[in-house]
Amino acid sequence: MQLLRIELYKIFKRPRTYISFGIITAITFVIQLAMLSDGKSFIGFALQGINEQFDIHGNILNGYLVAYIILQSLLIHIPLLVALVAGDMLAGEANIGTLRLLLTRPVRRSQLVLAKFYASFIYTVLLIIWLAFIALFLSLLLFGKGDMINLKSDAFVMLLQSDILWRYAMAFVFAVLAMTTIASMSLLLSAFADNSIGPIISTMGIVVVLTILSNLELPLFNLIKPYLFTTHIIGWKGFFDDPVPYSAILRSSAILVLYTIAFITTTIIYFNKKDIRS
Amino acid sequence: MTPILEVSNLSKTFKTFKAVDGLSFAIGKGEVYGFLGQNGAGKSTTMRMALGLIFPDSGSIFINGSEFNNSHRHLLRSIGAIIERPDMYGYLSGWENLKIFAALSGTKVSAARLHEVLDIVGLKGREKDKVSAYSQGMKQRLGIAVAMAHQPELLILDEPTNGLDPQGIAEMRSLIISLSKDHGKTIMISSHLLHEIEQVATNMLILHKGKKISEGPVHQLLNPDDTLTEVTILPNEGLGAQLASSAWTQYADHVSAERLVFRMNPTRIPDLNKWLVEAGAQVQSISSKHSFETYFLNITSDAAAAHRVI
Amino acid sequence: MRKYLLLLLLFTCCAFNSAHAADASALFQSLRSKVLSVQDYTADVKMNINVSYMRIPQLNGTLYYKAPDKMRLERHGGLSILPKKNINLTLSNLIPGGNVTVIDMGNALIGAKTVRVLKVIPDDEKSDIILTKIWVDETDLVALRTETTTRNDGTVTMDLEYGRYTNSCLPDKVTIFMNLKDYKLPKGVTMDYNDQPQPPKSTDKKNQKGTIKITYLKYSINTGLTDKFFAAPEKQ
Repeated sequence: MQLLRIELYKIFKRPRTYISFGIITAITFVIQLAMLSDGKSFIGFALQGINEQFDIHGNILNGYLVAYIILQSLLIHIPLLVALVAGDMLAGEANIGTLRLLLTRPVRRSQLVLAKFYASFIYTVLLIIWLAFIALFLSLLLFGKGDMINLKSDAFVMLLQSDILWRYAMAFVFAVLAMTTIASMSLLLSAFADNSIGPIISTMGIVVVLTILSNLELPLFNLIKPYLFTTHIIGWKGFFDDPVPYSAILRSSAILVLYTIAFITTTIIYFNKKDIRS
Repeated sequence: MTPILEVSNLSKTFKTFKAVDGLSFAIGKGEVYGFLGQNGAGKSTTMRMALGLIFPDSGSIFINGSEFNNSHRHLLRSIGAIIERPDMYGYLSGWENLKIFAALSGTKVSAARLHEVLDIVGLKGREKDKVSAYSQGMKQRLGIAVAMAHQPELLILDEPTNGLDPQGIAEMRSLIISLSKDHGKTIMISSHLLHEIEQVATNMLILHKGKKISEGPVHQLLNPDDTLTEVTILPNEGLGAQLASSAWTQYADHVSAERLVFRMNPTRIPDLNKWLVEAGAQVQSISSKHSFETYFLNITSDAAAAHRVI
Repeated sequence: MRKYLLLLLLFTCCAFNSAHAADASALFQSLRSKVLSVQDYTADVKMNINVSYMRIPQLNGTLYYKAPDKMRLERHGGLSILPKKNINLTLSNLIPGGNVTVIDMGNALIGAKTVRVLKVIPDDEKSDIILTKIWVDETDLVALRTETTTRNDGTVTMDLEYGRYTNSCLPDKVTIFMNLKDYKLPKGVTMDYNDQPQPPKSTDKKNQKGTIKITYLKYSINTGLTDKFFAAPEKQ
């Protein structure tokens, strides 16, 4: 508990931490601005396939849709922001040399790893809450309410506005879970490294490469896809389908939890044996 | 009496490099234990093993008589340490750093105590500044404050004067002496410089390539009677015979026509000089160096000698 | 005498035949005028769009209609989805205007009801409608089913059920069957969440069937809706 308090203190005393919140805000603003100025043509483009046969009228470009678009693009970047803190947790301290001093204290290394994991988790939760606030509520303020359309590659889904808010709530909860998996992976990479750039870049590299694999339509990759965590971190989208594929989401959640536990356990086992030479 | 820190047959190999090789020693209460060796001799590795930063391949470590390993980290409560650089969180103030590390010390440390250690290390008034704005010396002193805040019995200081300017070195030296004398701390201190150790340590161990070369109380190892005084003279064939019949012959270590070496207490140099002049020798230079230093310099490389601070 | 009889028979036959044709044409004309007697209406509707690639909940809203071809669904801040150009949604749209050739196709059964089937071909060659088949309930003078082949939108079939507004030829329930093109967006763009790799689609459904069901709850007829209303953006 003491350790966790100290870890949180360190995280939130650092300017870097707030950069993440700034980046989220900035990207959100940029997308909102782009949607304000050019959203109509974007919608026109996206709805090409549908517009051939149907006329859709009303406030298509409403806050719910804009929030979805923001989430879709930001959830690629948020792993970077999570890694920025989680990847720095051990490696960063190794780099500035404080890990040495920290580990000469009568504190169990496993407890330190757990405290750092919990601190990363809390940071992730706050990041997602901030994202929810700025992406959803600000978009609703700017673009108003409305029914939401969700374009999937093989389906056009429409959700009634009265039926959306709970989906966002669930989606954000799921996003926290997904990003916690990223955080735990960053922490593991962080335990291997003596400077924080390595784990941050590696986290991004892994996420990007696996996301590409997850999205490639090749028979070979189809075999491994269900085992990649990147296939599952976009499970929040399931809440915007109708009907919600609960069993798939549940399976994805379970896989993400398993990944997280595996990452943390590996981190603890490795870190417990690691010689601190930095 | 149980030693505060005892190490027995400790070994550690990094890949193929044998950093520490069958090392044993014990540090008793109240000692200032100097760890002398060139860079890479294994001083830092040994200290890190004693602090649980590095895990030994074999051998045991005892803290206050209890065996220390990764599942007995509570024993670290009685140790405070600075390993290499005294790195702190630069984005936090000195006070915040001190509080954080004190909170993790396993001992309740009062705010009054923190003020007290700030006072001891002479950082009073600067504790609210961000550490990133501290000078190297201030960081080093903050490091000591952190190391001693929870009132450990043993302070492990790895090269505490590294990177300090001469004034900082002098300050650090007097601080260490004061910690030992006025605060009763047992201190383990490492350096690659003999005179650093010589000035503060009560006991000393020389480490070379991971092995103990010699160990003992400083006053024994550095007995002034073992100082070597080298005299160069213009070639004088007759001086040898004169010397042999004089009282100085008992100190003579080496005699040739132009170079004489005496092993004696350096307080005798003026008398020796007087005798040499009276004996008709034309003295060109007289220099004295402790035999231990010669010995130490011989076993350590030229690189270490080049680092010597005069 | 026999000659007269033969002549009479022939005459009667002809008369019957022409009367038959005239009867079909008249039936169509009276149906059309009944349909066109409704100039506009406002109706509370429930709409169910059932297209394999569209997942749309039941849409409740108000449907505004003005003859001949203006239609608007208003959903009080929600989205409205109507088939392109609203072309297939109302009877008046599916019944060709102007001069037409009506061919009597005889009787058929819809459910338990015997109905007359009329084939209507517009004389105007530029008309979007190429051919309409209408199943007419002669007793109530309402169309129970239409099957319209259009130049641009393929064949649309519409089933109508009547109840409270039979007199105005306004259905309580309409089911529209339409052919739709397949829909697909590149996966890389949408980044779908698919937990399991999807099996390749079994059939290449170039043309999909879809139905739209509209249930009319309440009509207000001929309230004088203006064209402007249909052009105006929706009030939020």
